Amino acid sequence: MNLEKVVFGFFIVLAMTLNFGFFIGDIDNASHHHVYELYAAIVVSLIATVLKFGDRTHVGAILLSTSLAADLQLITAAILWTALNGNYDEPSLTVYIVSLSGGALMANIISVILLISETISQKR
Amino acid sequence: MDSILFLILRRLRRPLILIIVTFATAIIGLTLMPGLDDQGNPWKMSIFNAFYVITYTATTIGYGETPYAFSNAQRLWVTFSIYLTVIPWFYALGKIIALLQDKGLRQALSTVRFTNKVRCLQEPFYILCSYGQSSCLLVRALDEKGMRAVVIEPQQERLNELELIDTKNAIPYLCADAILPENLERAGIQHPLCKGVIALTDDDNVNLAVAIAVKLMNPDLLVIARAERDDIAANMASFGTDHIINPYILFGDQLAMRVHALGTYLLHEWLTGVPGDTLPPPKNPPKGRWVVCGYGRFGKSVVENLAREQITTTIIEAMPEITGCDACIIGSGTEAKTLLEADITNAVGIVAGTDNDINNLSIVMTAFELNPNLFVVIRKNRRHNGRLFKQFNADITMQPTEIIAHECLAHMITPLLAQFLSLARNQTNLWANKLISQLVSTMGEEVPETWAVTINNEHSPAVIELMNAGLKISLSHLMQHPANRENKLALMPILLLRNNTPNLLPDPNTQLKAGDRVLFCGTVNAKSILPLIINNAKVLTYIIDGLEVPDSLIWRWFQNKFNKRFKNKN
Repeated sequence: MNLEKVVFGFFIVLAMTLNFGFFIGDIDNASHHHVYELYAAIVVSLIATVLKFGDRTHVGAILLSTSLAADLQLITAAILWTALNGNYDEPSLTVYIVSLSGGALMANIISVILLISETISQKR
Repeated sequence: MDSILFLILRRLRRPLILIIVTFATAIIGLTLMPGLDDQGNPWKMSIFNAFYVITYTATTIGYGETPYAFSNAQRLWVTFSIYLTVIPWFYALGKIIALLQDKGLRQALSTVRFTNKVRCLQEPFYILCSYGQSSCLLVRALDEKGMRAVVIEPQQERLNELELIDTKNAIPYLCADAILPENLERAGIQHPLCKGVIALTDDDNVNLAVAIAVKLMNPDLLVIARAERDDIAANMASFGTDHIINPYILFGDQLAMRVHALGTYLLHEWLTGVPGDTLPPPKNPPKGRWVVCGYGRFGKSVVENLAREQITTTIIEAMPEITGCDACIIGSGTEAKTLLEADITNAVGIVAGTDNDINNLSIVMTAFELNPNLFVVIRKNRRHNGRLFKQFNADITMQPTEIIAHECLAHMITPLLAQFLSLARNQTNLWANKLISQLVSTMGEEVPETWAVTINNEHSPAVIELMNAGLKISLSHLMQHPANRENKLALMPILLLRNNTPNLLPDPNTQLKAGDRVLFCGTVNAKSILPLIINNAKVLTYIIDGLEVPDSLIWRWFQNKFNKRFKNKN
């Protein structure tokens, strides 16, 4: 067992699960989506991105790019939340934010699939 | 470039994660702390506001308490946050700065920058595999002539010197060893515009390795390599190194030329000098018995060449067993005793040719005291001793590095110049003197430019066009000024190559033929004007007939009509 791999896998999976936790619920119901969950998703996603830095393999490059895609969408969601708060009615703002987090979720799922496929292809 | 980016990212992984974690903790804590708004209602900071506050706090900017004055709980948390975030922030900054100063990273960056600069070169260029004393002169001369150069040199101190000199064009340089083929590749030996590689390092083996590498990777390139040992020179010749330079043989050769034909020597120096320089008037060495101190490779070459000029020599050598000298006086030559033994008082000249500058100076100073009428030839090895040599002011100060640079230039400027110089060697001294006075009267005393012109469709379309139209074009037409054909350009054709037969100093009335190659010698100004004549048919017609050819269709039609009517009337 390698501690580095444990930490690596933990953050990638946690990024996806937190993202999923935020995404799940009625798309226009603000009470189903908690701001702290989005915050946690962003922070964990950023950490996962930095952990992926410097891996020169092809899989490493794809992993980094999925993380960057997830970061981009989650941060956009957070910016929308801050910037548009009060300018829109609550349901439509929630729809914007949750759909963006849905996009990030897709990227995170791809990231986890890659992680799993790489793990399975390991001989040992 | 990619690998450098990843290197930076990998090194910054730890500080970045530390920043993310500490910022995240500080932000979340701040949003949880109870506070009061300006109306006194209970209030908690939003995540965005907390992010804002922590950002300016952690970076030590500090805007104060926004949007409302903080409660004690919030202040407590901010105090904690400052200690938590500021330290990782400075740690990360320190890491970034340390990374930028990292030697490995800077080397990698400068290599990438060098490779890009070479790749972007748009003009023909030469690669110099060292930046020693002769390369330094070579770079200056090439730059003056507007030719580009790329330098590879393993010693950073020498490159610092290169950085300090003023050049017209930027000279890309790389601090690396030319013996590695990958460095040669970076310097552009496979670049389509690379014209040649000059290997002048002190180490014969490096020069040999470079020559082989170039001949394998790009056999068409011109390779000029320095070789001091005969076996290495033979090795280089075996795989087709274009020019092999042995500084010792070259020096002996030059000294002989000076004794034998001063004019020829001067012509040689003048045509291969740095443009804009003027040459000091040379002195003519006397004939008679000479004393040669030092019978190493250098001394041997001197003695051999002096013998060819029917000059007898007396040799002084410290270690005759090693150098293989049969009849010589044993000693270093620095003390009066050995010099007297060599009968210095009745000699006409002395050559101080050891590889130690201080000994050389000591020899000539002692000899000068014994016989003030001596003609003194002194060998200068190190450039930084130049001040001492200047003070002594010998009749001839021979510096191997300068000789090497001149020889390289002769081959690099154009192959025709090397051919011209070898032909000129076979001419008499009188011929050379006459040519020099002719050149000086046309273009002044400064070192002129020399360049070759090929008569073909690609390089001189106007000449071919008019020749095909049946006009006779002679060399003298190329010597006229396009602004006023009564005036002459300050240039002179000095060699005409037709069907591989060279014609030294061709007659200006010689008619040009397609495929001719002409070597011109002239001022910088003339060199820039000549292309106008050979590329522009209109200019050339004016020079031949004194006629302005109309360019537009209407004017041509008019002129045709006019000419016809004129003929009918007659």
